Amino acid sequence: MKRLRLRLALAATFLIFGLQARAQNFDAAGSSEYLVKAGFIYNFAKLVEWPAATFTSPGEAIVIGVLGSDSFATTLERVVDGKKIELRPFTVKRLKSAKDSKDCACHMLFIASAESPHSDEVLQLLKGTSVLTIAETPGFSKQGGIINFVLEDSKVRFEVNVDAAKHAGLNISSRLLSLAKIVQTNVTAR
Amino acid sequence: MSPISNNPPKNLRERSQTGPRHERYMNTRRKRHRRQAVRSFIGILLTTAILSAQDIPDVTQISLEDLMNVRVTSVSKREQKLGDAPAAVFVITQDDIRRSAARTIPEALRMAPGIEVARIDENKWAISARGFNGRFANKLLVLIDGRSVYTPLFSGVYWNVQDTLLEDVDRIEIIRGPGATLWGANAVNGVINIITKEASNTQNGIITADAGNELQASGGARFGGKIGNSTYYRAYSKYFKWNPSTDAAGNKAYDGWAATRGGFRVDGTSSPDDSYTLQGDIYRGSYDETLTQPAFAAPYYSTFQNNGNFSGGNLLGRWNHAFSKSKTSVQFYSDRTVTAANRLLIDHQSIYDIDFQHDIRIAEGNEFIWGLGYRSTQDRIVPSNVVSLNPNRRRWDLFSGFTQDEFGLFGERLHVTVGSKFEHNAFTGVEIQPNARVAWTMNPKHSAWASISRAVRTPARTEEDMRLNAAVMPPSQATLGLPLVAAVLGNHNFKAENMIAYEAGYRVHPTRTFSADVATFYNSYSNLLSAEPQSPFLEVTPSPVHLTMPLLAGNKMNGATYGAELFGEWKATSKWKVSGSYSLLRMNIRRNKDSMDISSSDPAGASPRHQFYFRSSLDLPKKFEQDVTLRYVDALHGLAVPSYYSLDARIGWKPTSNIEFSLAGQNLFDDRHLEFSPDFINTWPTQVKRTFRATVTWKF
Repeated sequence: MKRLRLRLALAATFLIFGLQARAQNFDAAGSSEYLVKAGFIYNFAKLVEWPAATFTSPGEAIVIGVLGSDSFATTLERVVDGKKIELRPFTVKRLKSAKDSKDCACHMLFIASAESPHSDEVLQLLKGTSVLTIAETPGFSKQGGIINFVLEDSKVRFEVNVDAAKHAGLNISSRLLSLAKIVQTNVTAR
Repeated sequence: MSPISNNPPKNLRERSQTGPRHERYMNTRRKRHRRQAVRSFIGILLTTAILSAQDIPDVTQISLEDLMNVRVTSVSKREQKLGDAPAAVFVITQDDIRRSAARTIPEALRMAPGIEVARIDENKWAISARGFNGRFANKLLVLIDGRSVYTPLFSGVYWNVQDTLLEDVDRIEIIRGPGATLWGANAVNGVINIITKEASNTQNGIITADAGNELQASGGARFGGKIGNSTYYRAYSKYFKWNPSTDAAGNKAYDGWAATRGGFRVDGTSSPDDSYTLQGDIYRGSYDETLTQPAFAAPYYSTFQNNGNFSGGNLLGRWNHAFSKSKTSVQFYSDRTVTAANRLLIDHQSIYDIDFQHDIRIAEGNEFIWGLGYRSTQDRIVPSNVVSLNPNRRRWDLFSGFTQDEFGLFGERLHVTVGSKFEHNAFTGVEIQPNARVAWTMNPKHSAWASISRAVRTPARTEEDMRLNAAVMPPSQATLGLPLVAAVLGNHNFKAENMIAYEAGYRVHPTRTFSADVATFYNSYSNLLSAEPQSPFLEVTPSPVHLTMPLLAGNKMNGATYGAELFGEWKATSKWKVSGSYSLLRMNIRRNKDSMDISSSDPAGASPRHQFYFRSSLDLPKKFEQDVTLRYVDALHGLAVPSYYSLDARIGWKPTSNIEFSLAGQNLFDDRHLEFSPDFINTWPTQVKRTFRATVTWKF
């Protein structure tokens, strides 16, 4: 009797699996949280100055890497599509793993919460580069990340680690800093 | 021997209250696909409907200051979790609660498919998942911020004791089906996790006040703050008083309910790798009931108005530490409750619980977790002529451990989770509760899951040690001219109830605005509780001399339940969302051939076969909101409770971002209806009336 039940359960499982629809493109749109965060990231690009040597030409794209969330990447792509900061358009790159952050040639890198266990690794890999690191992980900026989103009462706020930005050679406008929570690298952080 | 009815809550977690095991369970596949549709409400940004996929609002035109004022719907909520977990999961969000007519946790649970919620009287509830409902329903595990609120006395929940400031609830996560591998024994038919917000998300102050015809008065206040750079706190207090309801004839019943409570929560980080939470509550309340109890003298029963009260407190601490490739958490809590149904039973109960958990990332796409737990439970009972426990005081231990591994196959499209709980309880010894789950993401719009799991319900203290004089029959010739007492007796040989569950589900997300899921189950039970009659004997105490017919707790019921739950949600426009669910339950529970049980009723008669739920949430102009809910619950044939429809409606108005007024009506269709009829303890059920209330919430 038990065996029969098991067989029935397995049969039902396969039946349900068999109902799969054809693969379709995923039209991720993101939640409003991601939409708003995309808006912030656009603004960060506007209010942060990279070292002069970062871009070779005035029309070179600002490359934003996204780690850990395809749907955020899709949302961001839509938001920055056709937008330019001065002459620079945007390119959004989807990173598969933390290791990719090294060779991504990104100017900005967003680490979604799903990849938060690897944020440390990313920061290690990006040490000494001028990548604006952005995450949504509690403690990220104290760990040496530059900008970290936090939700407060369902509103998006952000922390900035000014020292980390300086180390990366980034100049963050005072307007951006005036809205941010200023955070310092925790001395115990590796 | 000693009983343990519940098991360690498995809710340790970094920064917030859902444990890593839990998180994993809920979002197995978060890394690969975050699947959220654009949430319908995007604050000031989206005053126009998002009609096509291309039509995304241009957030680059919005100033940073304005962006900072947009209230967002969080990513980590329903869609994502539902989209990925290999289990039947449902999430009730804070916004769902705020926009409902519910002012108690049980009322809020009515939103979830597959959950049965019935009000017995103003202060008593019968709540279960997938069958076996009753006031003492014993197959559902309930946790508040990782603390089990499932009482070891009868393996159920004192619903009249559990509450918090509803505004501080972040979400209620509901898993139908067994969660025993992670949560342990008694997570048989379902797990309910009530999760409050982190202190950092409650930094403002709130004052709420309600008044109405049934909820006579209720008020709550909370404030939050920050100590130093990285420590957040909040404190709250709350009071409510419910007026008595009515009996079937429309007369005022004796079932009022009032309680006062207060509590706090502190969340902090002491280093980038360490975070901690400390929280606690204290409470005190009273409730009324009309009770019919058996008596040893003519007319052999008595009916009287009984006043009960309860008080208690709890304290929980949790510490999370991250290593480079793994994470650990340690959680400790203590919980003391006194529940005094004064003329029936007084139960003093203390629980100390400690849990450790370690998550290890073995390789990309392979995560291993293990954990250990210990719980000590101690109680002291003040008996009555009707209910007594032998011994009156008892202390018992529970040891548990679990392992679980989750890995991806075929390019991570198939995700497999296997694990098992091992625990040693004082009543039945070692219990092993394994499960195997598989989730298959065919593409981002379609996914399916299936699982097989074993869960047990370990004996409650009552099933071991209780004597309940359930009824006294007047003397007759057949009883030698003596009164006959039917006494339900606990049994030290009572075994754990077993279940093997086969579950499968399918989720579809065809467009950004529509999502649906179906979950099906087939649960096979054995060793279910029965009451086996034994040879009658003479007793001289309490006087007069009487004949006692013992009904000994046995394990001689078995059977199966099956059913399905469907849920769909459509965000018709950015301002209008509709959702609905349908739940089907069939139960086929019977006595074993060798059972002599003549008294146990068929549990199928206490659970509705069909339930449906429909909800519309509409944002009106001028900052008004309108919410309408329609519910249908099928008849409970075993309890002679007819089917009913219930229509609830709410109008909310937020003239400014700080203040909200709302008017809510419940059961608008009928004057009153019955929802349940009590089991074991014969309190008088009362009617659920048409009710109205007004609420004001001020944030500062």
